[in-house]
Amino acid sequence: MIAETFPVGLGELKVGSRSGQVLVCYGLGSCVGLTLYDPVAHVGAMVHVVLPDSSLNRGQDSLPGKFADTGVKAAIDEVLRAGANRARLVARIAGGARMLNVVGAGTKLDIGARNSEAVRAQLQLHKIRLAADDTGGTYGRTLQLFIDTGRLLVSTVGRGEREL
Amino acid sequence: MNLQTSEFDILQSIVIRALEDSARSLSSMTTGAIQMQNPRLSFLPLNVVPGIAGGPATVVCAVYLGIEGDLSGHLMLLFGLQSACGLVDLLMEQPVGTTADLDEIGISALAETGNVCGSGFMNAISDRTGLKVIPTTPAVVVDMAGAILESVVTELYLNGDEVLVIETGFNGEVPGHFLLMPDTDSMARLVAALEAIQ
Repeated sequence: MIAETFPVGLGELKVGSRSGQVLVCYGLGSCVGLTLYDPVAHVGAMVHVVLPDSSLNRGQDSLPGKFADTGVKAAIDEVLRAGANRARLVARIAGGARMLNVVGAGTKLDIGARNSEAVRAQLQLHKIRLAADDTGGTYGRTLQLFIDTGRLLVSTVGRGEREL
Repeated sequence: MNLQTSEFDILQSIVIRALEDSARSLSSMTTGAIQMQNPRLSFLPLNVVPGIAGGPATVVCAVYLGIEGDLSGHLMLLFGLQSACGLVDLLMEQPVGTTADLDEIGISALAETGNVCGSGFMNAISDRTGLKVIPTTPAVVVDMAGAILESVVTELYLNGDEVLVIETGFNGEVPGHFLLMPDTDSMARLVAALEAIQ
């Protein structure tokens, strides 16, 4: 079986339902990578959430994954459409780091913590179980979801790899 | 951000002059060892920014300064790990290749480079526009380029979908990126100030 990698860029949402598919968020900093997975149907989704709330939006584009509220909802809708069962959905999140700890730059750059919080709140709102949470810190993370097994791998620079 | 061609030209010329100033300060600090290449100005969609320095998973060393005062935004120097070590060697006046790892001294030398470069650049903008621009203390981070860049871009994403990226490299020995990312309001203020002095 040949693995097929699908990068999930800023604000993007991707669904995997075929054998060999791997969904990847490369280099998550303050953004949060959210995965939903149904271990029976072997269907999963990954979202690269950039900002906590769509009410903040003053930009033009409207990628559903750009915000925690629209991203969580879109991911649930898409993964159900691809054949997942809502009751079996398991959520895992990683990212939400504070990469740049700059004296004098105020708290604006700690959007990472706000992103993680917002994603958690949305999952609760939609009653999706959060099974693993690897957020915060001051380092980047790459996230890989293997659709066949549901294995979720977090890799870092200098802090090794771990499974969520 | 829609700029008239004339506005873009003004912006480009002031950026080039500001970079020249900043390169001069760097150069005098390193006994002429460091030069900057001609800058490229471009407006990029925010979602491509995390990939501009060799891909989002590439490990880089970033020297970051926030811009405060009349303008706000971000200034960043980005180097591959080997280039960052090479730059430390140039700064320490030792043969390139001597430094193999970034230790505390190396990191503080890079922070100082950011300071010199950033202050030179911001002073040049201040002098020509009358706007008060102050750099924050520099932060040095070694991590995935995507993680660092997206953290900066996120804040800009609140107000728009495009960002002005000014990219330049340093001479062959230490290739790197110099990025200036003002927020949308600051861009408008900068352009207005530039027009006023024409």
